[in-house]
Amino acid sequence: MDQQQNIVIHILEFMESTSSEEKDFNELALRLYTYQYQNNLPYQSFCRQKGKTPRMIKSWKDIPAVPITAFKNITLSCIDPEKAEAVFMTSGTTQGVKGKHFHPDLRIYDQSMTSNFKNRFMQGVDRIRMGILFPTEEEMPNSSLAHYLSLAVQEFGTAESHYLLTEQGIDIDRLLSELQRAEETGEPYALLGASYSFVHLLEELTRRGKTFSLPSGSRVLDTGGFKNQSKEMELAEFYRLLSSALGIERSACINMYGMTELSTQFYDSGNETIPSIKSGPHWIRTRVINPLTGEEMPKGEQGVLVHCDLGNFNSVTTILTEDMGMETENGFLLLGRVQGTEAKGCSIAAEEFIKTASKGASE
Amino acid sequence: MREIAGYLPDIGETALEMKVLTFSKKGETVEAEIPLLTKEQINRVIEKVKKASEEVLKSFSVSDMIRIIDRAIEQLLDRHSPYRQKAEKLLPIVTGYDEEIIRLGLTSYLKTFRKKGLQRFLSEDFGNPLLLDDFQPCIKGGFSKAIGPNLITHIWAGNVPALPLWSFISGLLVKAGMIGKVSSAEPFFSGWFAHLLVEIEPRLADCFAVVWWKGGDEEREQQLFEQSEVVIGYGGNESLQSLQNRMPVTTRFLPFGHKISFGTVSKSSLDSRKGWTTVHQAALDVIRYDQQGCYSPHLFYVQEGGQVSPRDFARFLASELENFQTRHPRRELSMEESAAAAGWRQREELALFSKPGHEVLGNGANDWTVVYEENPSSFMPSALNRVVKVIAFRGIEDILPTIAPYRSFLQTVGVAASPAELFLWAEQFAKMGVTRIAALGSMTSPEAGWHHDGRFNLLDLVYMVDIEAAAEASSEQFAPYVD
Repeated sequence: MDQQQNIVIHILEFMESTSSEEKDFNELALRLYTYQYQNNLPYQSFCRQKGKTPRMIKSWKDIPAVPITAFKNITLSCIDPEKAEAVFMTSGTTQGVKGKHFHPDLRIYDQSMTSNFKNRFMQGVDRIRMGILFPTEEEMPNSSLAHYLSLAVQEFGTAESHYLLTEQGIDIDRLLSELQRAEETGEPYALLGASYSFVHLLEELTRRGKTFSLPSGSRVLDTGGFKNQSKEMELAEFYRLLSSALGIERSACINMYGMTELSTQFYDSGNETIPSIKSGPHWIRTRVINPLTGEEMPKGEQGVLVHCDLGNFNSVTTILTEDMGMETENGFLLLGRVQGTEAKGCSIAAEEFIKTASKGASE
Repeated sequence: MREIAGYLPDIGETALEMKVLTFSKKGETVEAEIPLLTKEQINRVIEKVKKASEEVLKSFSVSDMIRIIDRAIEQLLDRHSPYRQKAEKLLPIVTGYDEEIIRLGLTSYLKTFRKKGLQRFLSEDFGNPLLLDDFQPCIKGGFSKAIGPNLITHIWAGNVPALPLWSFISGLLVKAGMIGKVSSAEPFFSGWFAHLLVEIEPRLADCFAVVWWKGGDEEREQQLFEQSEVVIGYGGNESLQSLQNRMPVTTRFLPFGHKISFGTVSKSSLDSRKGWTTVHQAALDVIRYDQQGCYSPHLFYVQEGGQVSPRDFARFLASELENFQTRHPRRELSMEESAAAAGWRQREELALFSKPGHEVLGNGANDWTVVYEENPSSFMPSALNRVVKVIAFRGIEDILPTIAPYRSFLQTVGVAASPAELFLWAEQFAKMGVTRIAALGSMTSPEAGWHHDGRFNLLDLVYMVDIEAAAEASSEQFAPYVD
């Protein structure tokens, strides 16, 4: 337990420092690697199979990346998962199994979220009136996004901040009156929530023929993509509509890229151009790799994203995503999901097999 | 390089919309230019083909057809012929497979369609192939004739080179007019074959067409389905289902879905002398077209108790795959395929913790993966592209329950075993829905006259016309020579 406390303190200090020296990042990443290797046996077995014991590893870039599907199949935790203060679960499932991310306590998660959010979303403002297009933390206790948004309201929202989702969907009357109020009073207003809820919101506003012109300083934070929850929309179209319906600049429409499997989020600086450049704070680093070799793709070429998040002290720092991306000067471009492969020939592809087989079983 | 794909009969049309599909491999690019017909143009093709089928094709005898096909195949087997050279040059770029694999694969595949193979096809299905030319006496009495449809539509799929030839040639043998839709993954071969046939026998010019449209183009498909007597479709179950849902009840639909095949290796083939050959054969089945064929193995069941243990088999197989990577490297994978192959291996590596006896073998570049498992517990397809499992078993009864639920997917089992075991196992696998038992090392080359997915290649295409014995007998009383 002492070891864990020491590590937590070390990470908190690292987060507070403004430095992002390669050497310091590396040192802490390797320390966490050794800790996770020793205290997480399934991970240890995975690393040994790859021939990567702590002694072999000199750079954070060599830490074996765990594919995010592993969060569904094995317990990735250095402590007894029963003792975790919070368990965040993925919304997506494979054959009914959700990915689980165990957090012994939320000090690091909360610290990571708040200092990053303050910097990237609040941009010098202490508090803002917020409307949340997502269920509350009580309604969704295993959602990392619900926790994230509740933290946003608590730390950065004014007392009048509120949730706009009911069981029937968006509380459109409340939303309209909030938007109208902001227009009239000139007090900046922030809407935060899942991207698909914004699509529903846009549909509702179009249906009612309403547009607004929110006061300057107003802003939007969307996250998570559309996930079959609403109609798919081209990102450029999405932000164009959002900007014209609410009367805010596209530069004030911030997209957050986060994952249940991480403890830290990425943001862009608005969506004037698509795709926007995403970046994170100094305690998370991203590589764009060729999934076959694990080697980094040359700058400007597409590959799969691997994140090394020092906030992930209890699970694994380094995860292999299913997101395509491209490295840029100040961060990376997010280019969508790696699509499932279709069979090239006439042999069955695993995906089709699973789909058909599980259909057969349930019939 | 730009090459025209497809084949059209003369429909008196000069203005055709051409669709260009681009392929590249290691800096070389091929553009396939293929006509995309309008609804009206398709209608004219349908009319033309049906007419030619009735008036021209049906006037040929079966031996004429054999002779023409045999001559076309002869040219495709001849490495000096322009068509063969074009195939050897372009197909590696289009499909991405290694040049040697394609060269060897084409030869071994095309050999099946020489005269003797074609005769085998015919007698396999008809006994007496003259049934396709004339009414022939039946054993039960009376006479029968087999008639091929005036129009078969083929929906071809996949990137395994030349695969459409199975159904193309089957249709020719029963003298059917045909319209084939090529896959955008390999749009060339069937068009070349059509041109070659017409060069050999110009009277066939209007008897078939090879075209392309985007899969799921319901308007074009509907039109064809309504006018075809038989539609042969290849693809995943989902797309086949969608075709079937749109098939008029008067059109016979023959779907060939994606399949899964595997190898079964007896301990009798694993002594210190033969063991190595057995492993080599298994590796060959894996690298040929990188497991993309329906007959390609996803996994090998290897029996315990031989001098080469299943674990050693897995390790030897790994080293064979590593050797082959130098000689016949794997096709270059897309980012999606790369992620799938790597993801599959990583999942197996993560599972090692809960399955300590298992092994995951692979090289740093992820060119291939062999997973060893100690007992047959789950039956799952591999990620393909040289990713394979080796699973130890004691007796055949250990395997059967794991494959039983997947009956509708099973196709080929590659077997290395003694004669007694071969028949015993064949009996068991047959009950599970397996339709082909092949020699290990020959899984990817089905022999002439095989029953594709257990069906008849030719018999399923035709309809029979009977003259009943009574009709024949009663006609005698009206003969001019009657006493």
